Amino acid sequence: MTTPDKKPDTKTNETVPLSRRRFLEFLGKGAVCTGTLAGAGRAIGSSEVRHAKRAFQQNDEQYAESMNNPPKVPDYNWNDHQWAMGVDTDRCIGCLRCMEACKMENSVQMDAFHFRTWVERYVYLEGSNTAIVDSQSDPNNIENAGSETRFRFDNRYKNVKVDKAFFVPKLCNQCEHPSCVQVCPTGATFKAKDGPVLIDTTYCIGCQYCVQACPYGARSFNESRGTVDKCNWCYHRITKGLNPACVEVCPTGTRIFGDRNDPESPISLFIRNNHVQVLKPEMGNAPNVFYKGTDKEVV
Amino acid sequence: MLSEFGHVTPHIGFIYPNESDMAWTQLIVIYPYITGLVAGAFVVSSMHHVFNIKSFAPISRFALLTALCFMFFAPSPLLFHLGQPTRAFNALITPHWTSAMAAFGYVAGFYVCLLLLETWFAFREDIVAMSKVRTGIMGKVYGWLTLGSDDVSARALAIDHKAARILAMIGIPAACGLHGYVGFVFGSLKTREWWSSDLMPVIFLLSAVGSGVGLLIVLYVIASKFRKTPIPNDTMRGLLYVLFTAITVVMVIEGLELLEIFYKAREGVETVRELIMGPIWAGMSIQWAMSVFVLVVTSALLVFDVHGKRLVNWLFMSGLAMMIGVLAMRWNVVIGGQELSKTMKGLLTYYPELFGRESLFVVGIISICPYFTLWLATKLLPPWEETIVPEHRVLDAHKLA
Amino acid sequence: MPKHIVRLLVLIAVVATIIFSAKYYFRADSFYQYGHYRGNAVAEIASKVPKLQGSASCEPCHKKAYAEWTDGIHRKATRKNAIQGVVYKFGPGCEVCHTGPAGNHPSKEAMPLSVEDKVNTITHSEHKIHPANVPGRKLLLSPEDMRGVCLNCHEKLEARPKEQKQIEVASHSGDELCIKCHNPHSPRIIYASLPQGRRGDAQAGKVAAAACGGCHGEKGMSTSPAFPNLAGQHFDFLVDALKAFKSGARKNDMMGPMAAGLNEADIRNVAAYFSRFSCGVMGGDKTKAALGKAKAANCAACHSAGGLYGPGAPGVSGIPTWPNLAGQNAEYLVNTLKSYQDGSRTHPVMTSVAKTLSDADIDHLSAYYASMKCK
Repeated sequence: MTTPDKKPDTKTNETVPLSRRRFLEFLGKGAVCTGTLAGAGRAIGSSEVRHAKRAFQQNDEQYAESMNNPPKVPDYNWNDHQWAMGVDTDRCIGCLRCMEACKMENSVQMDAFHFRTWVERYVYLEGSNTAIVDSQSDPNNIENAGSETRFRFDNRYKNVKVDKAFFVPKLCNQCEHPSCVQVCPTGATFKAKDGPVLIDTTYCIGCQYCVQACPYGARSFNESRGTVDKCNWCYHRITKGLNPACVEVCPTGTRIFGDRNDPESPISLFIRNNHVQVLKPEMGNAPNVFYKGTDKEVV
Repeated sequence: MLSEFGHVTPHIGFIYPNESDMAWTQLIVIYPYITGLVAGAFVVSSMHHVFNIKSFAPISRFALLTALCFMFFAPSPLLFHLGQPTRAFNALITPHWTSAMAAFGYVAGFYVCLLLLETWFAFREDIVAMSKVRTGIMGKVYGWLTLGSDDVSARALAIDHKAARILAMIGIPAACGLHGYVGFVFGSLKTREWWSSDLMPVIFLLSAVGSGVGLLIVLYVIASKFRKTPIPNDTMRGLLYVLFTAITVVMVIEGLELLEIFYKAREGVETVRELIMGPIWAGMSIQWAMSVFVLVVTSALLVFDVHGKRLVNWLFMSGLAMMIGVLAMRWNVVIGGQELSKTMKGLLTYYPELFGRESLFVVGIISICPYFTLWLATKLLPPWEETIVPEHRVLDAHKLA
Repeated sequence: MPKHIVRLLVLIAVVATIIFSAKYYFRADSFYQYGHYRGNAVAEIASKVPKLQGSASCEPCHKKAYAEWTDGIHRKATRKNAIQGVVYKFGPGCEVCHTGPAGNHPSKEAMPLSVEDKVNTITHSEHKIHPANVPGRKLLLSPEDMRGVCLNCHEKLEARPKEQKQIEVASHSGDELCIKCHNPHSPRIIYASLPQGRRGDAQAGKVAAAACGGCHGEKGMSTSPAFPNLAGQHFDFLVDALKAFKSGARKNDMMGPMAAGLNEADIRNVAAYFSRFSCGVMGGDKTKAALGKAKAANCAACHSAGGLYGPGAPGVSGIPTWPNLAGQNAEYLVNTLKSYQDGSRTHPVMTSVAKTLSDADIDHLSAYYASMKCK
């Protein structure tokens, strides 16, 4: 690790009082059991501001390093970006192009049990207060599509009266306080400074604790690789100035992606001009995927 | 069409698509089970080593060996489960302390060392004696085990005893930590209603002690039958007290846990009810039937002040029931927790594989290994507190040569 | 201190030293650089090559399809009520339906390919892997599969927003394939711009058509009102009709044996021959024709040059596989509609349409179309 030439003014970037951080770090250097406490405490500490300057669980030294010596990605500096995604569920037509494109782009297994992104359908039958939910990997939908490698929603509600119905695309929420990163025993998954939670597949041991910890079911285990897989907003695309694959192919503009550091980016406009919400806010994960037009039944 | 998707875990309601492949399966069921047996066996051995309760003396060294042999195999289910077992040491090289799992390697490693040391101190006098009477390969092995010192003076033995006692004293919180920690791995996950409970570490720990005592009762009775030695009444009574305490506390806390889930009745409580009535009803029935059986039998044994052969027979059955009940409880927790979808709108049913990396076959092999190792260990280091007669040993150097 | 304790402590110290040095020795180089992970992993993940490369990347090789798409509704699909201030560049592009082809060339998994595209890409020397051989994924080539591609977005589903164009499959087209009417690259441009099959040779057709002249006239104007005029009919329609007679899908005592005697090339040649001619106006009762015009709005969706999307010469089908009605014998038209009504002739659309018509309607419509000029 090289010593940074210019130490950034960490005090102005602090999101918690320095004394508290120091204290938490002191705990962090403690014994095995206190380590857990400190991590949890630090995770809470570094999150209160929208444009968190520090990445998840970064200490002073690592923060300075990430500012002064960012990863060597051509024409890209992760300090300039804060990525986020929006989903306008009112526009989703459930065509599943996003899911297909994602599977192609990221070589996700071509079956019905591994997805980086998927779509759920919520249907309130007439007079019902709860929704019936299915996703594209519902056995009936698979049978309707006639193939385990292409998916289409079936037309099962053709002959019944429906009060309201809508589609909800799902993907990894790239949380501010990712439970998956918290529980990874090795550091194979981590939160990049520009937002996405990434997986180092050369370091993952495949214990699948993160699969258990994710409240959103966004992670799946790739048996052939022996490692866990999940959406990373197509990190290889966004660092090249492209949109994530799902955003690229969405024919209706349901998915909105952009940089929150740019006030005129699609996502900034989307969040500013709409009432948005996140999924399962009670989990305390602070997701970075913002939904417009979801419903009480959406899980 | 159905056959094409035969490996889909059948589900009802709505589950997240990625959930249909269950992440933790039967290997993760026996992992807490085996560590539980270790913790229980160690607690029994400490009864003599720390608290100096004489009635546990005949079983104390055997319990120590049992704990050691089972501890050797505690990590093996995890290794078989890992997608990349060759990278397992990454968790030790760069442990991420915010993860409950990162500590596993250290806790387990520490505990293995502790058990090895305590076993060494407890058996050192025998090792030295063996190294003198044995020749050939085994003589060499015992020679190495003495670390080249045959000091069995009163002073040295006093130090050994003190060391063993200190280690056992460290070992009790370590055993509790090891197993409470396994409970923490599950209980600290906010995503799963069935796991996410503050009582989880306590439940795991106490049921672990219960299953460990059950294991010792079973093994000790069987070993005594084979060796045709009498079973001391006091020892059996002592084990009965421990078993009774464990089962009562376990049942109370497990009852509290269930009560809390249904009394709080948070979102999705109907699904929890359906889980208990549905996918894990068999497991729950076994768990509670066995628990009730153990509770009734141990209570009766206490009330009617039973001794002798009847005590041995009934306690043997209780011990076996306790082991089965705790295994069922591990299944209900580990598999049940995942059968309840994170959406709280659906349930899965898990059907175990028969052959393969994470299969019942592997589980069977791993489960047998500790018993086999224990048999070998009792040959190497006889824990029965008797004079050493080299001719009786199976692994005699002359026979090997 | 006894010797064995000392030795034990030494042993512990040695083992501990080995373990801790190993811990540092085996640690990955860039670990802890930016946090608790391998710092180099970030650049490694970012260095993956994108597969989807956007519609523009298709243009150099697939010029025709790209041009169709550029002018079409799929390119221009509006985003009404889109986020305030956000301008979308385009609607569904190439890779929406042809999932991920750019990065998957040459394997082109999951691409519904047109004939032309297939030739362009597979003849390339490096494109030897047959796309259908890609494990885990089947190539979509059958027209039925292509219909599925359209229905992914356009089948009427309860949960779909109302703004989305949706169809009830059964009433919209029955078993017909989408591409019979729509060009998927530009669905509002009707079939004409789809890649054409091989054309026939009109000169050769003249010879083969000698036998037809007896009934349909030497230049396609029939000798009796009971037989249809063929002059000026669409080439594709004539080919389809003859093939249907030949296969027995369409039954006619005269045409069945006639068509059976023609081979594939003959059929194309005959069709090319008759489609060259221009038809005449058959005339008809003016008052009936006026009444028929009012009723003809229903037919215009298919049987007019503008099709669904605008005005065009009435009676001239915008879809080359469907017949022109303008300048047809009124009597023949009446007979045909009645045969749809009684079921002696069937067609997924026409059978149901004909059943909505009264005898008078049929009379008026036939008079109307007979009085139109066909080209």
